[in-house]
Order: sequence, then structure tokens, then C-alpha cells
Amino acid sequence: MSFKYIIKEGFAGIRRAKLAATTSIFSLFIAILLLGILSRVGYNVYVQAMSIKDLIEVEVFLFDIDERTTDEIERQLRAEEIVLEATYISKDSASAIMRQEFGPGVEELVDLNFLPASFKLKVDTEAGASQIETLVSSIQNLRGVDEVQYNEGLLRIMESNLNTFSLVGGGIALLILLASVILVYNTIRLTIYAKRELIRAMKLVGATNSFIRSPFIIEGVLQGVLSGLMAVTCVFFIFEFVIPLYLPEMGLLSWPFGSWYFLTGAMFGLAVLMGWWGSRLAARKFIEETYISG
Amino acid sequence: MSDTAVIELRNVSLSYEHRPVLKNVNFKLNNGEFCYLIGPTGIGKSSFLKLLYRDVVPDEGSVRVTDFPVNKISMKQVPILRRRMGIVFQDFQLLQDRDVYDNVAFALQVTGEKPKFIKQRVLEVLGMVGLSHRRKNMPSDLSGGEQQRVVIARALANEPRILLADEPTGNLDPKATQDIMNILKLINNRGTAVLLVTHDYAVVKKYPYRTVRLIDGKVQDLAWKGDKLVPLKKEPV
Ligand SMILES: Nc1ncnc2c1ncn2[C@@H]1O[C@H](COP(=O)(O)OP(=O)(O)O)[C@@H](O)[C@H]1O
Ligand SMILES: [Mg+2]
Repeated sequence: MSFKYIIKEGFAGIRRAKLAATTSIFSLFIAILLLGILSRVGYNVYVQAMSIKDLIEVEVFLFDIDERTTDEIERQLRAEEIVLEATYISKDSASAIMRQEFGPGVEELVDLNFLPASFKLKVDTEAGASQIETLVSSIQNLRGVDEVQYNEGLLRIMESNLNTFSLVGGGIALLILLASVILVYNTIRLTIYAKRELIRAMKLVGATNSFIRSPFIIEGVLQGVLSGLMAVTCVFFIFEFVIPLYLPEMGLLSWPFGSWYFLTGAMFGLAVLMGWWGSRLAARKFIEETYISG
Repeated sequence: MSDTAVIELRNVSLSYEHRPVLKNVNFKLNNGEFCYLIGPTGIGKSSFLKLLYRDVVPDEGSVRVTDFPVNKISMKQVPILRRRMGIVFQDFQLLQDRDVYDNVAFALQVTGEKPKFIKQRVLEVLGMVGLSHRRKNMPSDLSGGEQQRVVIARALANEPRILLADEPTGNLDPKATQDIMNILKLINNRGTAVLLVTHDYAVVKKYPYRTVRLIDGKVQDLAWKGDKLVPLKKEPV
């Protein structure tokens, strides 16, 4: 099978069906661009949310209990799966912290001897609100625990916002992506229709279906490549020039996972994959349905 | 398979949406044989050929072409089957966007032949149809008869053992028809079996070969009796 022939026909196909090809390249470009922007903004929102979650502290206040019971509670706290760290704050250090935060005069207002000992827990940021609630109620039941405090409201609000953002964003992006695959499919269908004489002649002389298909699939892949390159260029332009220059208040949005090539690579790969997929579906269906005898 | 038939149909029935076209047809074409297939328009001659190159499959019966059980082979084998036969239609089916040479070379490119072999073979078959000097012309520069000769050259490129022609001279004047017939004769003399569908009584008469007629969904062998083609008495098998 001649590779040169396939590439040549692939490009020729795009030239032939100019309008349809332009439409599908453009829509795939928009889809990938939106996905790129959504991912980059989404990633930064996510990182932000995670650092807020870092701030969520669970405080476990203890009754006046002996050392053995305290050790037992600590052991049980550490045994919890989502508890990453448990720091013991004794009655003495609690008064020290109080003195430090409010200054030396504080003793006249509060009897520092009544401050209870406590544990400060650092919870896994992946844990959801409901998991934290379960943890809290089980700690509540431990012998020697007086009260458990945490910032429930903040956690709930943040979690629902994050869920909505990823659900809506992801949903929109998927819809556009699907639409652009359909457009690629349709372009290739038109190209196949325009070239049905060629396909008939190929079948007539005994070309295999996969040979006949290959230039059309290459055409779809080329559409993906072009859309991908355009989208990647735009994402660079938007985040490196437009936003810093015109929307400085948005601050610096970092590239996901620290490097530019993760996001751009994923965008480009996705574009090529969608081009390949749409054209393959069309080529499989419509070339099989082309008969030699019209 | 010891017999010499390159085409064999056994009890073949074909219908389109329950409308029967062929009913329980038996037919054999021997290696190197020339045979006309005649009959009125719409009787099923083209459908008969479609069965052979597997554009349709029969409702019943078996179709064999060389050693291919055509109605049973997988989709993957269909192209291999088609490389064993040359197919020529009335409407020339040349690709208008490339010249004569490329139209013929195309048949060898899609089957993955080496460039050096392709060049040699293309010039050889163009020589056979007398069009070597026209190889750089576009199809639109050629007369109908010349275009049909290019199609025949393309059909011959893969050295088929069978040539199927569906009214190849249907659109041509008597002179061009004669050229095509002479080429088909030449091809047949070189050992290729030819199954020629035609309407043209004059052709059948001028170049006498075995002639079969399609009638009422059946194939019937004919013979000349004076000036007329009459059904041949079926010999007991
Ligand atoms: N793909 C098809 N679907 C339905 N009917 C068809 C199809 N192809 C041919 N026919 C019908 O089958 C009959 C035989 O057609 P065809 O084989 O082309 O006849 P011929 O070549 O002898 O003129 C005709 O009545 C034609 O209308
Ligand atoms: Mg016909």
C-alpha cells in the first residue's frame, strides 16, 4: 500500500470538500479550545478549593481525663483512614496559645485553667463532607471526648460549588465534542459521496476496503491535527498574553500539573483522536455501502 | 476441482425485494471460452454479472468463479476475487481527474504492486488496446471508443482469467464497436475467458461465439439456424 498515495488523497479530500471541512475543523477547534480553557480554569479552581479544604480543621475537645485514656483516644483517632495527622494540645499549651494570641492581659478575662485539652486533626482533602460527618459522629462517641468542632457550612458550600462547576463544565464540553465528531463524520460522508466514482473504480479493480478507507481516515486525522494546532495556539495566546494584559485581576493561572505540555498535549491528542474517530465511523459505514453497480 | 469451468452457477435464484429476477439458474463458462449473454432490457443480465463480482449475493444456490465460492467468501476476500476478473461497463467509469496512464496504473497501485512493474505493465496493456501514444491525455480528450479501450486496458492490468463486459459497445458507433470487438477477440485468443453482455444482434452475428439468452429468469443456450438464433436442444447430462 502506497503511503504517499494515502497522504496525497487525504489532503486532496480536504481541498475538495472545502466548506464542510472548514466547518468541522472550526467546530472541533472550538470544542478543543473550550475544553482547554475549562480544564485550565477548572484546574486552578480545584487547586484553590483544595487549599481551602486544607484549612478545614476538626477539633476534638476532651474532658479532664487521665493520660491512658488520652493515649487511647489518640490511637483511635490515628486509626481513622481519613485522618492524616492528630496533634495533641495539652491544657498547658492551650493556655500558652491563648496568651500568645490575645496578649498578657487575657488572664483577667478568662480563667485559663478551664481551657480543655484537645486534638487538632488534619483530614485528607479528598474526603467528602459526608465522610467527615461520619468521622465526627464516631469521634463524638469515644469515651473522654467532650465536643467535636469543625466548619461544616464552608465545607458543604465549597463541595457543592466544585461539583456543579465540574458537572456543568464537563457536560458542555462533552456536548461540543460530540457535536464536532458528528461534523467530522458528516464531512467525511460528503467527501465519500463526492468521490463515489473513485470508490467504485477502486472496488472494481479489487482494492481492499481498508485501503479505500485510509485516505478518508487520514483526512479526518488531518482535520483533527489542524483543529488541535489552532486550539493549542489559542490557549497559549489567551493565557500568556490576553489574560495577563487585559484581565490582570484574574491573577496568574498556572498550567495544570506545572508544565505547559500536559494540557496542550492532551488537547492536541484529543483533537486528533476525535478526527480519527469521526472519519473512521463514516468511512466504515459509507464505503461499505458503496456498490460497484451504482 | 478438476473441471475446466472458470464460472459455475448452480441452482441460483435472485430476487430484489421479493421480485424474482433469476430462478434456479445453472450456467458454466469454460476456461478460455467466449460467450455472449443476450436478452431484453430489465431481464437481469447486469444482475447476473453482479452475482459474479459479488455486488449481490443469491437468495439460493451457489456461485463459483475460478476457485472462489463467491456466495460464501468473507468480505475480506471479495477484493481478491475481483482482482481475478476484469470488469467493463457501458459507462466508462474512468477517473476524470487523471490521465490515461494513471487511470490504468491505478488498478495496480491499489493492489500494491511495485512502481517498476506498474510502469512496464501499464505500457504493455495500453499497447494491447493500441493507445500507448495517448497515455498523457486526459479521458475527456478521448473519443468514446478510445475511453472504452482504456477501460479494457485497466481491466486487463491484473491479468485476469475472466473478462466481464456489460454492454461495452452500447454507446459506441459501428467503427468503434468493431475496434472493441477486435480487442476482445485478441484477449480471448490469448486465453482469457470473456462473458459479454450485449444488445447488439449485428455484433453477435458478425462475431459468432457461444450465445446464451436470459429469459423468464432462466439461462438458455442458443444456436444459429439459418438467419435466426433458436434454443439449442438440451443434451442429457
Ligand atoms: N438494486 C436493485 N434493487 C431493486 N431492483 C433492481 C436492482 N437492480 C436491478 N433491479 C431490477 O432487476 C431487474 C433486472 O435488472 P438488470 O439486471 O439491470 O437487467 P438488465 O441488465 O438485463 O437490463 C430490473 O427490473 C431492475 O429494475
Ligand atoms: Mg444492464
